[in-house]
Amino acid sequence: MHALKIQNVEKTYGKVNVLKGINIEIEPGQFLILVGPSGCGKSTLLNMIAGLEEVTNGNILIGDRNVTHLDPKDRDIAMVFQSYALYPNMTVRQNISFGLEIRKTEKSEQKVIVDKVSKLLQIEPLLDRKPKQLSGGQRQRVAMGRALARDPSIFLFDEPLSNLDAKLRVEMRSEIKELHQRVGTTIVYVTHDQIEAMTLGDVIAVMKDGEIQQMGSPQEIYDNPRNQFVAGFMGSPSMNFIPCRIEQVEGVMQIGLESAGEQHQVIIKQTIPGLASYAGKNVVLGIRPEQITQQGEDKVDSAMLDCAVEIIEPTGPDTQITARINGVKTICRIHPTAECKLDELMPLMLDMSKVVFFDPDTKQRIY
Amino acid sequence: MSINRVLIYSVLTFVALLYLLPLVVMLITSLKDLDEIRSGTLLSLPQSLNFDAWGKAWGTACTGVSCEGLKGYFWNSVLIVVPAVAISTVLGALNGYVLTKWKFRGSDLFFGMLLIGTMIPFQVILLPMARTLGFFGLSGTTSGLIMVHIIYGLAFTTLFFRNYYISIPTELVNAARIDGAGFWLIFFRIILPVSIPIIVVSVIWQFTQIWNDFLFGVVYSSGDSQPITVALNNLVNTSTGIKEYNVDMAAAIIAALPTLLVYVVAGKYFVKGLTAGAVKG
Amino acid sequence: MKKKSSAPRQSLGNFLPKLVVAPTFVVAVIFIYGFMFLNAWLSFSSSRMLPTYDWAGTIQYEKLFANDRWWVAAENLLLFGGLFIVICLLLGLFLAIFLDQKIRAEGAIRTIYLYPMALSFIVTGTAWKWILNPELGIQRLVREMGFESFTFDWLVNTEMAIYTVVIAGVWQSSGFVMALCLAGLRGIDDNIIKAAKVDGASMPLIYRKIIIPGLRPVFFSALIVLTHIAIKSFDLIVALTGGGPGFATDVPATFMYTYSFTRGQIGLGSAASMMMLMAVAAIIVPYLYSELREKKDEH
Repeated sequence: MHALKIQNVEKTYGKVNVLKGINIEIEPGQFLILVGPSGCGKSTLLNMIAGLEEVTNGNILIGDRNVTHLDPKDRDIAMVFQSYALYPNMTVRQNISFGLEIRKTEKSEQKVIVDKVSKLLQIEPLLDRKPKQLSGGQRQRVAMGRALARDPSIFLFDEPLSNLDAKLRVEMRSEIKELHQRVGTTIVYVTHDQIEAMTLGDVIAVMKDGEIQQMGSPQEIYDNPRNQFVAGFMGSPSMNFIPCRIEQVEGVMQIGLESAGEQHQVIIKQTIPGLASYAGKNVVLGIRPEQITQQGEDKVDSAMLDCAVEIIEPTGPDTQITARINGVKTICRIHPTAECKLDELMPLMLDMSKVVFFDPDTKQRIY
Repeated sequence: MSINRVLIYSVLTFVALLYLLPLVVMLITSLKDLDEIRSGTLLSLPQSLNFDAWGKAWGTACTGVSCEGLKGYFWNSVLIVVPAVAISTVLGALNGYVLTKWKFRGSDLFFGMLLIGTMIPFQVILLPMARTLGFFGLSGTTSGLIMVHIIYGLAFTTLFFRNYYISIPTELVNAARIDGAGFWLIFFRIILPVSIPIIVVSVIWQFTQIWNDFLFGVVYSSGDSQPITVALNNLVNTSTGIKEYNVDMAAAIIAALPTLLVYVVAGKYFVKGLTAGAVKG
Repeated sequence: MKKKSSAPRQSLGNFLPKLVVAPTFVVAVIFIYGFMFLNAWLSFSSSRMLPTYDWAGTIQYEKLFANDRWWVAAENLLLFGGLFIVICLLLGLFLAIFLDQKIRAEGAIRTIYLYPMALSFIVTGTAWKWILNPELGIQRLVREMGFESFTFDWLVNTEMAIYTVVIAGVWQSSGFVMALCLAGLRGIDDNIIKAAKVDGASMPLIYRKIIIPGLRPVFFSALIVLTHIAIKSFDLIVALTGGGPGFATDVPATFMYTYSFTRGQIGLGSAASMMMLMAVAAIIVPYLYSELREKKDEH
């Protein structure tokens, strides 16, 4: 039995096809993240799981039940909204117990649940306050408390951290992760922030234009992107895409990289069968900033390049350098103590063991 | 203070005096007797505070056929205003709620239709309404007039509430739906408690419009069912014998007092209603 | 990040919300649109004392246009309406600019400028009728102040009576324009004005080039509402002049009332009211059209 099963779900508004055939299956207790740029359909999908929007085609199953046409209140779900949506005229206590009240839970039991939940989220001193007297972070916790009180089979989160400032966001992020580890309920979480996606999720579904581009664990999506969109979306600063020409010389694949006026031929040691059919043509090389570092211990599969440093951005834990390879701005991450000067040549090492290749026209990964 | 500031304050104060003058003149005139009026000017103060004219205006002045002053008509207006304001406000709130939180296909078109209802000159429905009221035996009755005010007030109250409810985030309603609340529960437990400001605006606006109305009053009421505005006009324009200007003025002030009082007490809501009505869509 | 808010899905079938607005819908259809249609029909009928729903072509309109009194009324509306609107707009703007100068008693002064709008037009008309009384009103006041030959008998002067309506109307409604303009002035982004000052512009220039153009939407709102008030003017004239002297201050609204309810000419009256409707439509329709187009452009 899956905790949540989405079968071939489609959504059209008039003539616009917003969701085109979504299929997802997750196990109980998993933390699923729906991530993508605005307009990709992730919020619409979440609303459809909640029952706040109608499904044009397809089925949604929660546990064993087909809930596709059920009201939100009959789906055994709870939701935390981006704007928290706390009832302004009720106290925190009343906000949390509202859903219980509607279900005619015994007053004594309501009290037990409210106490338990407020203790878990450390909002006990706030119980008699009204939402407008709370800070953003406190409101967020009350919103989570309201959802927790219902003890649902699935929690839905709709970009809950977007309204918080950066520092608070990082704090709340780990609190949510901790909560999930403690309570263990299935979660579906929508965000546009790929860092949240990476740190929180067990399973990530990257969406674009109403379709799931790729679904998998964070590390898998990071290391093995299926297309250029997913590769560029996950990871910050994002992956470098360098167009280059690939040649087959005596059975060995080589790409041409030009930097600071010098041409280099770099041998591809990875076994990528698909590359052969691109011999003599252009491909797109995908290499992450952290795979381009200062020269140090020789790695098994690496290339050396001298690059002209165009921009230097120290971030504290490392320093980001912008150089130019094959005419394209390339971001590299070097150790903060490594020497580099603006407009001067710096020797860089490219770790070729994990680079990926994409077809320049279809943007699909070359395997 | 610079010359500029002195100039500004003087101009503003002068204009303020101009605005106040008519009210002051009305008050002064109502406290004089006819001799003082005939021998003095608009601004000459009364020799003593003579409330005779007020008594007359309230209880014995002639308003057409009967000579019983304004008191009966004052209560008529109250009888008309209270239910009309209450019902049009309640319906307006429900309409606004549905049009913003439970939209259906055509709900925007419906709102547009209603909006047009706020713009038409009422002269175009005057005759058909007269016929309809006559048909149902409601012409010349208070109930008929109440009905008319409710019908033509609905467009305005709906406009007020709809524009206000639009700014209540839909997420709030969604959260309540997930919690298990339905249409009525959401309205009474969540929407209504935060509606106090707009309810006040709607009530004050409707109260002022309906109390001050003359057109509907003069066409659809007669005799004992007339509102105070109609009675006032009759009182002032009945020319039986000498014109008693002091009674006229006292009567006008009596008719104006309720809305003036509401304005003084809750003026800012009145302004909100005015500006909300002007900022359409 | 701005979220697109979605309207809640209909549940319980979607009949309950529709049921709730149904009464208003019925009311609107019957009492607004149905009646307008009936009224139009009446204007094409031969109704006199009682409505008859025959088809008489355009004779009522022909009678209307052949009626001298109607043309007096129409002319009066243009004259009164035009002056009323222009003076209210100018005065309201002027007062708002002055009030925007961080005045100490702003609240009190605003209250004083606006209170006339809380009054019924009947009260306003009655008060001004007394103030402009040919013998005992302003004329006597000014004479007592020393100007022996001052005359102010506009109220009973056929030529000038319509201007008394302008005076009373402006007194009642200019406060409203002031309130709107003040809100509009306050809504202009301070940063734009600061930028202009940094660029070296003087206050009068700033007013001319930035602030007054920025008030365009407010001006339009005020224009629409004032036009509306002017076209509907009935109470004020009834109380102030009774349409007189004679019918020198008649306007379409009073014309319509007189002919429909005291002269037993329902067909003619309904034709007059249809003309009023068209006058309103001539203003509202272009305004709505431009508003809708603006909204479409914004997408």
